[in-house]
Amino acid sequence: MNRHDLIVIGAGPSGLSAAIEAAHAGMDVVVFDENARPGGQLFKQIHKFFGSKEHHAKVRGFRIGDELLKEADAAGVRVELDSSVLGLYPDREVVVRHGDEVFHAKGDAVLVATGASENTLGFPGWTLPGVIGAGAAQTMMNLHGVRPGDRVLMLGSGNVGLVVGFQLLQAGCEVVGVVDAAPRVGGYGVHAAKLARCGVPFYLSHTIVSAEGSDHVTGVTIGEVDRSWQIVPGTERHFDVDTICVAVGLSPMSQLLDMAGCDMVDDPKRGGLVPVCDESGATSVAGIFASGDVSGIEEASSAMIEGRISGAAIADYLGYLEHEGETRRVGELEGSLDALRQGMFAPKNRGTVPERTEEGCPVSMNLLEHGFLSDDEVLAYPGVTHAKGVHAVIECSQNIPCNPCQDACRKGCISIGKNITSLPVVVGDAACVACGMCVASCPGQAIFLVDEDAGDGFATVTLPYEFLPVPSVGTRGRGLSRSGEEICDAVVESVRCVSAFDHTNLLTMRVPEDCAMRARFFRPAPADADEEAVS
Amino acid sequence: MSRIAEHPILGTPERGRLVTFSYDGRELQGYEGEPIAMALHAAGVMVHRYTAKRHEARGVFCAIGRCTDCVMVVDGRPNVRTCMTPLAAGMDVRTQDGIEPLDPDDPRAVRLASMVTDAAERGGE
Repeated sequence: MNRHDLIVIGAGPSGLSAAIEAAHAGMDVVVFDENARPGGQLFKQIHKFFGSKEHHAKVRGFRIGDELLKEADAAGVRVELDSSVLGLYPDREVVVRHGDEVFHAKGDAVLVATGASENTLGFPGWTLPGVIGAGAAQTMMNLHGVRPGDRVLMLGSGNVGLVVGFQLLQAGCEVVGVVDAAPRVGGYGVHAAKLARCGVPFYLSHTIVSAEGSDHVTGVTIGEVDRSWQIVPGTERHFDVDTICVAVGLSPMSQLLDMAGCDMVDDPKRGGLVPVCDESGATSVAGIFASGDVSGIEEASSAMIEGRISGAAIADYLGYLEHEGETRRVGELEGSLDALRQGMFAPKNRGTVPERTEEGCPVSMNLLEHGFLSDDEVLAYPGVTHAKGVHAVIECSQNIPCNPCQDACRKGCISIGKNITSLPVVVGDAACVACGMCVASCPGQAIFLVDEDAGDGFATVTLPYEFLPVPSVGTRGRGLSRSGEEICDAVVESVRCVSAFDHTNLLTMRVPEDCAMRARFFRPAPADADEEAVS
Repeated sequence: MSRIAEHPILGTPERGRLVTFSYDGRELQGYEGEPIAMALHAAGVMVHRYTAKRHEARGVFCAIGRCTDCVMVVDGRPNVRTCMTPLAAGMDVRTQDGIEPLDPDDPRAVRLASMVTDAAERGGE
């Protein structure tokens, strides 16, 4: 039987981060993962991450994954792929299956970083081929280049549903709507707003009545639910779809910890059955640790920091670190983790709906109920101001831990301050040079450059554009409102695609001046889309 | 065709060699090394198996090896998770009907059979 200083189960963001920290301390670390490739779900994340610089904010998930793998390699971490861990015993022994072989391995410490699995929802027809998990859709399109379907309905308005919904549009699918039984959008408002301005409708307080089809999905019927979650008769609505995407939350995959006899607790705020553990991930069983989603559902950024904390704590536990150094390192990491756990969407605030932001601005009900800020509401936020010439308009209305826009502006036009959940403020007397770095750096795609008076009764609006084909200069089309409604004629005046923007193209459109603060997306006219588009 | 030719963020997807495989006796093409389920999906195949009791169709659900809804008979071996198994040239992939029994010579089948016999004997005491 092989022995190791540390056995990590799961080569996702948390497991790899822990393995790196432990290897840096001089430990012999092996990571087992059942998949053919390491990185867990990171390589399916193609959006830019939130947070601040220390959390890799504004970097796309799969690029963070690449960096993590390089770091693990350099640290000498050994990752055993196609290796499923079948069992974990209290004396830190694991049973691993590799192909048809089963073997045992023992660690002085074991870290369980198995992540989470997707929840599902039963409705008539839910077992039909064509009903898939949102994670499955990501796997298909972002990992294997296969479109999940042509016309898709998204069930679930949490961040997974919203992010995957937008990724479906990027993959060339049509999204007929986002449905959620809850009365309010569950995920970040900025993620919802990206979908809404592309014309995707939101059906809150709705659920699926049934999926239709004999041996695969050919349609779906949704209906409004009342307060006791029953369908209100007469509200049913049918869509022809070939795919239904289910994004109704995640559950920790904590079975191994339960099996090893760790004290467990059913905690709805953490997503289900989780181990009882301290800040470093130490469970009730000596030498067995847990980190990442398995110990409570959050997201990849916090999973990585939790992994680092556990890695350092394990190194200390086994005597590989001087205690003082460990304390300092963990202190830094805990500060970084704490910063991510602030704001309206913090784990501690789950299930609450604040009426005002930390600044005292009213929270947009339209955003929560329909997925977009109304024309009146948007003016209430400190990022939205009127000014002469080109200026940034930041439609950021919720306290979420994110601040790349502040660093992006070299002219000091944008201020967030020390507290990274504060709403960005556009500083009145600073001079915008229209570089566009803020537009491209905003993970929520909530920043626009607006020139309210570009002459001759026109205005210009610069928006982030992450679709193909990228319209060429001169392309005619329509300006879309925040709700995705066509409100005016629009012409593409410039398109900027530079490597610093990392595939967030900056499209500037010319619109009538009365649409300067209303037009937020561009749709090429059908003929133009064929003739003038470049990719 | 459900292959993404060019993606706005990821560019042109990296693919293996184009290979031929057999699906229920029909010749299909896919890329070597991609999960069998992806090649089938790109070719428009939705049904991977039928359930044992009610003969209902099942296909890809989780695509990461958790749910086992996508299992098929691959090269004569039943219960293969097609979302996790890489495609190889010349593979024989068949729709699975119910729960395919193990080969009677498979050591696991021998062990199962003896457990069933033991239980029956104890029940008869």
